[in-house]
Amino acid sequence: MSGSLPDPSFLSVFDALIFQKTAERFDHLGDLPSWFPPPGLRQEIDLPPGQLVDRSFFLQHFLHEAEEWWESGKRGQCKSGLWSEPALFGEDVVLEATAVRHRSLRYVILQRFGPDFLPIQPLLQKAREEQLSHRQAVNQHERIEAQLGSRLAKSEQERDDVMAVLDGLGLGTIMLNANRDVTFISGKARELLQTDPARMIGRTLVEGSPWKPADSVRVEEMGRLPGSQRQVVPVVMDRKNRSATALEVEVQDDPRDPRKTILLLKDVSEMEALRRQLVGPTQFHNLVGKCPAMRAVYERIGDIAVVDVPVLIDGETGTGKELVARALHQLSPRHEHPFLPVNCAGLTDSLLGSQLFGHKRGAFTGATSDHEGFFESAEGGTLLLDEIGDMPLSIQTTLLRVLQEGEIIRLGESRPRKVNVRVLAATNQPLQELVDKGVFRADLLYRIRVARLRLPPLRERREDIPLLSTAFFEKSRVAFGKMQVLGMAPETMQRFLRYSWPGNVRELQAALEYALIHCRSEIILPTDLPPELCDVFPAVQSSPFLKSNERQRILDALAQTKGKRAQAAKLVGMSRSTFYRRLTELNISQEESSR
Amino acid sequence: MIQKKICMLGGFAVGKTSLVKRLISGMFSEKYLTTVGVKIDQKSLSVCGQDLLLVLWDLYGDDDFQKVRASYLQGASGYILVIDGTRKETVEVAGKLHELARKTIGPVPFVLLLNKHDLVNEWVVESPMVSDLSDQACLVSMVSAKTGEGVEAAFSALSEAMLKS
Ligand SMILES: Nc1nc2c(ncn2[C@@H]2O[C@H](COP(=O)(O)OP(=O)(O)O)[C@@H](O)[C@H]2O)c(=O)[nH]1
Ligand SMILES: [Mg+2]
Repeated sequence: MSGSLPDPSFLSVFDALIFQKTAERFDHLGDLPSWFPPPGLRQEIDLPPGQLVDRSFFLQHFLHEAEEWWESGKRGQCKSGLWSEPALFGEDVVLEATAVRHRSLRYVILQRFGPDFLPIQPLLQKAREEQLSHRQAVNQHERIEAQLGSRLAKSEQERDDVMAVLDGLGLGTIMLNANRDVTFISGKARELLQTDPARMIGRTLVEGSPWKPADSVRVEEMGRLPGSQRQVVPVVMDRKNRSATALEVEVQDDPRDPRKTILLLKDVSEMEALRRQLVGPTQFHNLVGKCPAMRAVYERIGDIAVVDVPVLIDGETGTGKELVARALHQLSPRHEHPFLPVNCAGLTDSLLGSQLFGHKRGAFTGATSDHEGFFESAEGGTLLLDEIGDMPLSIQTTLLRVLQEGEIIRLGESRPRKVNVRVLAATNQPLQELVDKGVFRADLLYRIRVARLRLPPLRERREDIPLLSTAFFEKSRVAFGKMQVLGMAPETMQRFLRYSWPGNVRELQAALEYALIHCRSEIILPTDLPPELCDVFPAVQSSPFLKSNERQRILDALAQTKGKRAQAAKLVGMSRSTFYRRLTELNISQEESSR
Repeated sequence: MIQKKICMLGGFAVGKTSLVKRLISGMFSEKYLTTVGVKIDQKSLSVCGQDLLLVLWDLYGDDDFQKVRASYLQGASGYILVIDGTRKETVEVAGKLHELARKTIGPVPFVLLLNKHDLVNEWVVESPMVSDLSDQACLVSMVSAKTGEGVEAAFSALSEAMLKS
């Protein structure tokens, strides 16, 4: 042997505790290390060192691992990893156990590291401290970020609240910076402008807004005036395929920075639409329709208007005879003089006579003062004699003379007065038949039908129904303040197209108004329609079903208007005279109608 | 006397060592001294009239520098999963250690502790983040090794659960 096994005392240089595992016991080899017995064993001096193994929870655990390792026959060593067990070894003492094998012999080496003995400790400590402080910095950052974020969210919330209030007031808001570039557009403003905000932000109004440049310039100029001199700028936006939007733009300084400007946009379209209606219900354009028959009517109106002759306008009830008359007047040289429509139905001889021709005080009972008739009032203008078929014969005679002589005599007077009036007559009855029956004077008929205009019933121009519906719909939703109703369901339009429309355009308008009043959603559904439109298949006016239905409808209308016939007639879409006739025909008694 | 091995599991510096120290000695130190290896402590408790010796294995925190050795978990009757309420990433570490424990020793009882409750103003961990873990824990508790809040109760609860299982 080149050398003998060194004396086990040699091992003492490692200051380790070395055990040899035999059967069930641990025998220690060589000298005991300087740290033995550890604090936990000091009281039990005579304790064999092997007992240490039993006292250490960690070693007990490790020996299981070591046992497996020894059995596995693996080479090298099996280390426990560092551990401390203050109760046994004292504070700040770190140990490590290593299992090794020499031939068939099994050893456990127990090493102890003092606090200064562990190079790994400060390294780990430093690395982890750095990581911690880094984490802390990140956390701090995130906290500040979160705080700023929530502050931002809060101010955004506040801004949203303000916007909601403005939107709720129907006010759109646009903000301009010192350069008059748009910096903000509220939701309501977007809605009012109907434009992509991206096209406006960062641009001036002239560059970006859908307004006419002149309007944009006026708004900008208003902003340059001192606050006290500023006025609201009206801006009307005409757009293809939709009704115009009328806005009022108020220009204000941003209270936080007077170089910036806030524009408040108010939608005044409804008011504007009403205003236009007030100004212009007498225009030619109020006739709606583009079917060939109506085109022909327009053309004829244009032709006839300028020829100063009487015109007979013939058409079913509700076809728009009065509108034609107004158009004739408007297009005639007489348009700067009055246009007066007179309904000849339902008036007694003397009443109608005095209405048309005037009377002298005392001419008849109740004539308490001198009265100028329509012929005189319409001097220079046009008189429409509506329902001329209902005119009593005596008046017909007088009228004929007026037309021939060009002068009237007030009732109770004998002195004729010159009148210069163009007479238009309208009828829904076939006058020739009335002549045959002897209730209408033939010579008067020839006199008033120098020019004739026939208005087609709606059922003969169904292609115009969508156009008419849209026109009335737009008008009525404004008038009724039902702006939330946006349109008509296709099924509704189908019913409109299928229905026979005995009351023609007036009935269509009334049906739409009825539907609008009943409509609770955004579109008009068939269930919103008046009952006679609810089942429109066998759409023949004379069907008993419709008749009874019409009776009910008239009664409903009367109930709704508390017996006021004129209003009820409007509701069901009939002229007053047709309405009265239907009352008789349908046997609606006085008491029934005022219930 | 019945002995039960309990492992303290969690990321580094979540307060495992501090919690044990609080339990055993009632003391706390602000100074951070990282635990290099396994630290073994004992605590005798009386739970439900039973005297019990808890052998607490305070494992070093799992991180890039050190991985918890699965074998250390062997023989544990329960464990304490610690999360630092001021550090989100400790939730993830706790989740991983929980999985490791499940794989190594099976479904033994554990308590989930959200530590450093004294710093609740700086907390970033919210309960939804730990809902997976809390669903399985026999106790979830906000504790503070610094003030001692909830510490003893947590150990008692775990001991009770271990005795029952
Ligand atoms: N404020 C506060 N600090 C704590 C708490 N628990 C532990 N710490 C601190 O957190 C750091 C890490 O604690 P330690 O117990 O070593 O964590 P371990 O790595 O999980 O064992 C130390 O600086 C402790 O003082 C606590 O409840 N509140
Ligand atoms: Mg520790």
